Amino acid sequence: MTPLEILAAAVTGQTAPRIPIFCNLLDQGARELGMSQRDYYASGENVAEGQLRMRARHGYDNVWSLFYVGKEAELLGCREILCCEDGAPNVADFVIKTYDDIARLEIPEDLTAHPAWQETAKCLRILRQEVGATHPICAYLTASTTLPAILMGMDAWLELLLSGPAEVRDELLGKCSLFFQKEVAAYRAAGANVLIYSTPFGAPSFLGMKGFKAFALPWMKRDLEPGGIGGIVYYCGMAPFNSVIEQVLEELQIGAYYISPLADLGEAKAILGARGLTCGVVDDIKLIGWTPGQTRAEVQRLCEIGKPGGHFLLGTGVMPQAVPEANIRAMIEAAFEFGSYP
Amino acid sequence: MSRDAIIRAYNEAVFDTDKEAAFEVVNAALSHGMTAEEIVFEVVIPGTEAMMSAITKDPDANLAQHFMTAQIAAEVTEKMLTRFNHPPEVIGRVVLGTAFGDLHSLGKRIVAGCLKALMVEVIDLGVNVPAERFVEEALKHEAQVIAISSMMVHTATGERGCAKVRALLREAGLEGRFKIVVGGAPYRFDEGLYRTVGADNWAADGVAGAKLIAQLIREVKA
Repeated sequence: MTPLEILAAAVTGQTAPRIPIFCNLLDQGARELGMSQRDYYASGENVAEGQLRMRARHGYDNVWSLFYVGKEAELLGCREILCCEDGAPNVADFVIKTYDDIARLEIPEDLTAHPAWQETAKCLRILRQEVGATHPICAYLTASTTLPAILMGMDAWLELLLSGPAEVRDELLGKCSLFFQKEVAAYRAAGANVLIYSTPFGAPSFLGMKGFKAFALPWMKRDLEPGGIGGIVYYCGMAPFNSVIEQVLEELQIGAYYISPLADLGEAKAILGARGLTCGVVDDIKLIGWTPGQTRAEVQRLCEIGKPGGHFLLGTGVMPQAVPEANIRAMIEAAFEFGSYP
Repeated sequence: MSRDAIIRAYNEAVFDTDKEAAFEVVNAALSHGMTAEEIVFEVVIPGTEAMMSAITKDPDANLAQHFMTAQIAAEVTEKMLTRFNHPPEVIGRVVLGTAFGDLHSLGKRIVAGCLKALMVEVIDLGVNVPAERFVEEALKHEAQVIAISSMMVHTATGERGCAKVRALLREAGLEGRFKIVVGGAPYRFDEGLYRTVGADNWAADGVAGAKLIAQLIREVKA
């Protein structure tokens, strides 16, 4: 079976030789190609090549079309990204500096015509040509409730959300939701088939259960309804969300859930059962300091919890560059060993 | 409105993260003859401490509660300080900023807001702060604590963040003079990480960070 078929089998509960194994080696591609982050991320060809090489070296199942999270802000006018050599680039120029900027914010009619999309399109074209028939291609999309954080800063967004003018807040959310709808359509059309829906406000640790129901859930519905839930993975930026899985299933019918390493994986699997794909996630910050033996033991633990009954995938967080190569190897080897079905 | 009723109403407003209601209580207290000093020391500080204590013990406490607790505490305190007859005595000073390369300011803002209401002088260095500046400003302001926030793994563990601040203090023979506190998402995923980067302690969130800093200031000054 190809990795794409193994993923499909895990989603539907069909027989497969093993669980799907996902690994997110984004910034490592620059090091692999011997380039600075700035040079690496300037070109879709580089990102595709970096992704293909990392996947070929370690043998996991997926490739990524994500450059860095701030790419979405660039599609909306951000002009400065802070690059550094030991970690992920971050937004250095907020598109929204005053509430008047919210009224001026324009969502491009056709995202795929925007200059900031062109390198992403190149990357996806190469990935689709090289491995599209056999391997899952991941894309990262920020929910409407979270996108304002990279457009204006998280604290300014919380201030507007919690105590600012409601009409300004709703205008911004409406524009961000429209952006999401266009973005997810663009990624699907370009060949991405695993769509990581980054929705930290979809975890109760952000606004509590009341805020989740009254605020996050309706906006998530608005984001997802026009394009549907095909390929969508529920991801709350590594925040635990077990207590809302049932409601997300019921209200949004999303089929895959990326469970925080801080959450109880067994509990999540018990809630989801055969109704969705449970994604067990290795704690990539502990991976920095673990030995290969500790890494192997953790992968074994996660597989023993998640594998019985199928509907399980093993994945990672964003994998900081400080994670030792030996631990990446130990993790993938253990995933193949403990993730295999008899 | 009795003093007890004012305290109760203020606490309720803070627990409900209702900034408007908190200001209404403060204005009512002023119109009932309470002084700004009495409002800060008898209403705001105990109310803030009670909320901080409650949300650090509550596993279901959420980010909105942390953020609004800090906002209300800072704004009410700032407003009352302008009415003080004499500047209040601060319990100590902290220099606070995000690590070099990190532009995330939310955690820092929550910490600063709570500390202002606890009568800690906050020297806010902003975001993307070089290690050298943390040390220079701590010396300049005679701070007791250096607090470094990181949202990203590489800014927490990198050579130009907390580890460098520790190295600079060591080189200058200043390690006994300042405590270093770190906070931010990476530390929540690895509770031993603060030691690896050379900090004296860490906090899981902004509210807990403010409590810890106030406690360390007292220890350094003791």
